[in-house]
Amino acid sequence: MPSVCFYFQVHQPYRLRNYSIFDIGNRSDYFDDAKNYQITRKVADKCYLAANAVIYDLIKKHKGAFRVSYSITGVALEQFEKYAPEVIESFVRLAETGCVEFVNETYYHSLSYLYSKAEFKEQITMHRKKIEQLFKQTPVVFRNTELIFSDEIARFIESLGFKAVLIEGADSILDWRSPHFVYHVPNTKVALLLRSYKLSDDISFRFSNKDWNEYPLTADKFTNWVSAVNGNGVVINLFMDYETFGEHQWQATGIFDFLKALPESILKNKDNNFLTVSEVVEKYPPISELNIPNFISWADMERDLSAWLGNRMQINAAETLYKMEMQVKRTKDKQLLEDWRRLTTSDHYYYMCTKWFSDGDVHKYFNPYESPYEGFISFMNVLNDMRTRILTSKKEEEMAKKIVSKQSPKSTAKLPETKTKEVPVEKSFFLQDGRILRTLKDLKDTLDTMDDSIFYHHVSLDRNDFANWVRDVFKLPDLAVKIANAGNQVETKKAISNYLSK
Amino acid sequence: MRILMLGWEFPPFFAGGVGVVCSELSKALARRGEEIIFVMPSGPLQPTAGTKHLNKFLIADKDFNEFTEIHESVAKSIKLNITIKTIESLLNPYITFDEYQKKYSAVKRFMGKEMGFMGEEGGELYGKNLIEEVYRFAIRAISIGEKENFDVIHAHDWTTFPAGIVLKKLTGKPLVVHIHITEFDKSGGQHANPEIYKIEREGMVEADTVIAVSNAVKERCIHNYYIDGGKIVVIHNASTPMVSTEHARKADVEGRPKIVLFAGRVTLQKGPDYFIEAARLVLQKNKNVLFVMAGTGDMLNRMIEKAADYGMADKFIFTGFYDRKDAERLFGMADVFVMPSVSEPFGITPLEAQYKKVPTIISRQTGVSEILKHCLKVNFWDINALAGKILEVLAYAPLKEELKEKGFQEVQLITWDRPAMECIKIYNKYYKPADKTDKKTKTKKSKKA
Repeated sequence: MPSVCFYFQVHQPYRLRNYSIFDIGNRSDYFDDAKNYQITRKVADKCYLAANAVIYDLIKKHKGAFRVSYSITGVALEQFEKYAPEVIESFVRLAETGCVEFVNETYYHSLSYLYSKAEFKEQITMHRKKIEQLFKQTPVVFRNTELIFSDEIARFIESLGFKAVLIEGADSILDWRSPHFVYHVPNTKVALLLRSYKLSDDISFRFSNKDWNEYPLTADKFTNWVSAVNGNGVVINLFMDYETFGEHQWQATGIFDFLKALPESILKNKDNNFLTVSEVVEKYPPISELNIPNFISWADMERDLSAWLGNRMQINAAETLYKMEMQVKRTKDKQLLEDWRRLTTSDHYYYMCTKWFSDGDVHKYFNPYESPYEGFISFMNVLNDMRTRILTSKKEEEMAKKIVSKQSPKSTAKLPETKTKEVPVEKSFFLQDGRILRTLKDLKDTLDTMDDSIFYHHVSLDRNDFANWVRDVFKLPDLAVKIANAGNQVETKKAISNYLSK
Repeated sequence: MRILMLGWEFPPFFAGGVGVVCSELSKALARRGEEIIFVMPSGPLQPTAGTKHLNKFLIADKDFNEFTEIHESVAKSIKLNITIKTIESLLNPYITFDEYQKKYSAVKRFMGKEMGFMGEEGGELYGKNLIEEVYRFAIRAISIGEKENFDVIHAHDWTTFPAGIVLKKLTGKPLVVHIHITEFDKSGGQHANPEIYKIEREGMVEADTVIAVSNAVKERCIHNYYIDGGKIVVIHNASTPMVSTEHARKADVEGRPKIVLFAGRVTLQKGPDYFIEAARLVLQKNKNVLFVMAGTGDMLNRMIEKAADYGMADKFIFTGFYDRKDAERLFGMADVFVMPSVSEPFGITPLEAQYKKVPTIISRQTGVSEILKHCLKVNFWDINALAGKILEVLAYAPLKEELKEKGFQEVQLITWDRPAMECIKIYNKYYKPADKTDKKTKTKKSKKA
């Protein structure tokens, strides 16, 4: 009795404008509002509104037997609020049926897990709050951007309290196994729901392909394939971009008619049913373990990270961006942080992909650039402009500090110097996640967002890197002892704060 | 199938871009088993790689094979079933009226006394002006048409069109004309010499198929020459494999000036003034850049003055005429190659740049931009964009590296095999086994009779 689990991904990035090297220092409106409006509006009309209406009718018609799950990125939701508020309304209406579940991901649809766990965690929280605010639901299932996943991510996600993760049913991890069961990574409880890429792609890629030997795909034919799983699996996870309906597959292909007919066809067989993602986890406990030592994703044929981080431009762009994280956050400039975060969106890196550029294919889709090179150029120019913004605001920060120290005559000359001292690069603290700390304040601020995995990489029973750094570089043995005794982030932070406010 | 090529340049002769295309296309056709009879103009002032030939005057209609000093590559070509026939002429593919006149009087001065300025037939060896010379060339071609047996006539650019038309009328064989450049392109798209225009159009009208080297040229044939789009086929040029000299490049010295290269004729068509304007903007942001303008042309002096006017004389190097060896060195030095052409029917130099692993910026107004993807593109008039792209390539190492590597991979796949196949497809429309079956049925009939 296989269950069918529909999950749709809804995402629209903030596309950058063509930002020239001559714009650096002259303008900081990086995003092409006109284009973003245009695309959001177009896809809203062709896909989101049309498909939501169909889904709503199906839920009503089948009196709750038809159920679906969504993940709508924070940046997509924001753009709907701005450019197509009725899309939000229609999703709220779907949420109110009780047959729709929302999945948590990173607010910005980012690759942050790969570069900054702190940022990753913050973006997940942001997204959760947005879902709670709009749809009055607290998500319990997670999906990482483009289904990027590995053993390591499983453990991290579990520590955040999620029950399940959606991942790609990639051949490389399954071997002889079937994607139609629930699995888990060794030593974790978080359940893995595997995308059935064959059946999902039959709808999202092949539906209108006249060269396909199964063309045309009818609801009954698809139901037969679903029913054929009976006895060899428990759940068929149909995960796809929501834009499949009306955008990737135009209305004229009959995709909406297919969608309208499918639930009835599937439910005709009393053994079949529809479930949302968390219902799958409740109903079907993991049957076995899966090892996923390398990163997988749902992109391209390779099903790895190469669509976003496959060439030197992409890697350079991502590394440069995340190296700026601490500096950006230190400025406390909300607009700067928002701009920086919008650049974490994976699409920007996808546009820079040269892998299939010569053939011109799916990467072209909604790609605002003529070539991957243009994508890289605009992105790097924007980063350089942000750098100038950081530098100017840093100056302001220093000036503010000077004023404070003038006003407090008690402070000795030496003390404020250690408090604000920025150590040279060779004496900087290199955090395991790649961030670099140069002042005591850096350390204090970082502790707010430092994950256990990072903190305890540097702190163990017989070693405390932070204490050693404070002792050796800042020559503050007393503070070092306090830090060494602190043992967790909160206490460590307290010790540093006490010293700085002395 | 035997193809009569009315073309330009075969090594060791050197006549520039169109010449390269003619010889590479012929070789690729020959490699696919076609027979080529290659007819080209050759005269005392043709620039040739083997300058030894300069003091030997080729006699009209003389088979090249009879010469004792045969260049190695020609010998190879003969193995490929290419027969080269030369016709005594002062023509070259890009010649203007003025240039022809200069050449003509030079030859007259040079030869007049000693040899008598007379051709074999007793008439003048060369036409008094360019148009006359083109028709004279056509008349000379007739003798080849009478002697040789061929199935298709393939003529390259207007100077060979009258010859092509004459041969078609004489033999009834199909005529394919290949448009590498039109008069409009030479003037930046604005106007055309009416006499040349007339010959160009006649060639296209008489042709059974017109081959255009880009969609842009096809559009021009339709809109400026009123040719039926249905008989125009676009066949993009390809690139000749080259050895990358990257390995020979000296290791980068910290802080050495970056080099931006312009290489081509310094004429309106190639947009040298946009290069100068962009250079000015680049230097406002980055002083450590040198600009090399290689090539000569009627705008060179003005460009030198302009660079000086802008106070950039110390940032510019004007090389003047460069040969292929110089080109090797230029590409070996350059950090970025720029081709800001105003109107370029195809433009083969970027392919060379990519072979030499030099990041390339080209204008969208070039035919080659229709096929190249791993390069940067700008509109020729947009000097801000051009300057920006130059600065960006110089500023972002990963961009430079990616363009170098992917551009090199790309250009290796653009081989002459594809255009040759496309040409054969066209020839086959006219040269059908039907010709053979005709003969067979005829012989059958005659047997019966």
